[in-house]
Amino acid sequence: EVPPSCTRGCELCSEYNGCLKCMPKLFILLERNDIRQIGVCLASCPVGYFGVRNPDMNKCNKCRIENCEDCFSRNFCTKCKEGLYAHKGRCYPSCPDGFSLTNGTTECTS
Amino acid sequence: KALIKVTPLRQEPTGKPITLEGVFAGVRGQAEGRLMQSHPLSLCNTSEDERQDSVFISIVKLESPERQVPQCLSLLEKARLAVKRGAKAVIFDVTDDAGAAVELREALLASGDYLLVVLVQAKDAEVLMGLVNRNEEATVRIEVMVEPPRWPHYD
Repeated sequence: EVPPSCTRGCELCSEYNGCLKCMPKLFILLERNDIRQIGVCLASCPVGYFGVRNPDMNKCNKCRIENCEDCFSRNFCTKCKEGLYAHKGRCYPSCPDGFSLTNGTTECTS
Repeated sequence: KALIKVTPLRQEPTGKPITLEGVFAGVRGQAEGRLMQSHPLSLCNTSEDERQDSVFISIVKLESPERQVPQCLSLLEKARLAVKRGAKAVIFDVTDDAGAAVELREALLASGDYLLVVLVQAKDAEVLMGLVNRNEEATVRIEVMVEPPRWPHYD
């Protein structure tokens, strides 16, 4: 029976820290909620985060690319903020020379 | 010893702060800021817990060693990382990890870092972690406890 402070999928639960270790294949997200920060277990990372798999822990890390809303990895943005265009995993106010928008998308292609 | 004065934000303005006790693990000093929990795993190089805008003091609940929580960094490194992210001081709840107190004292002594690290446990820790668990915003002020002078024994 999982203590109230932990979501399903938690293997090691703490009253104060939430989850400390998730079941295999799941990602741990350290969720900040005002002054609290607890661990929760997810099958995949939410928007704005990318998953990093390691032997001892799978973790959701925040996207750190400029003007990026969602990312596939530390360096590859998959969704730019409104009004910006994605090119090779980065976000630009307009497509670089030699590239143009693909119909109906915000993706620059040659 | 450290004096920890806690003022919950939702408390009456006239209300007196809650006074708790802790122990400085290294240098002694003064600091003030919002109480902010850091999950032990957030103080690892791989995670980029965003810098907080406000002035804050981190509190980290250390789990019992038997639970074998992945350590990722030493406690000194975790304290350094918290300060690097903007914490004015770091409070470690060592209730369930007595060895952590020894580790931190020795590491801070050896490093010579000027890091304000306070250890709390038992009742004092329970009050702080209770605020965290209820997500009650509070301001924490850390001061050096002034021990009352012991009068010399007169015959």
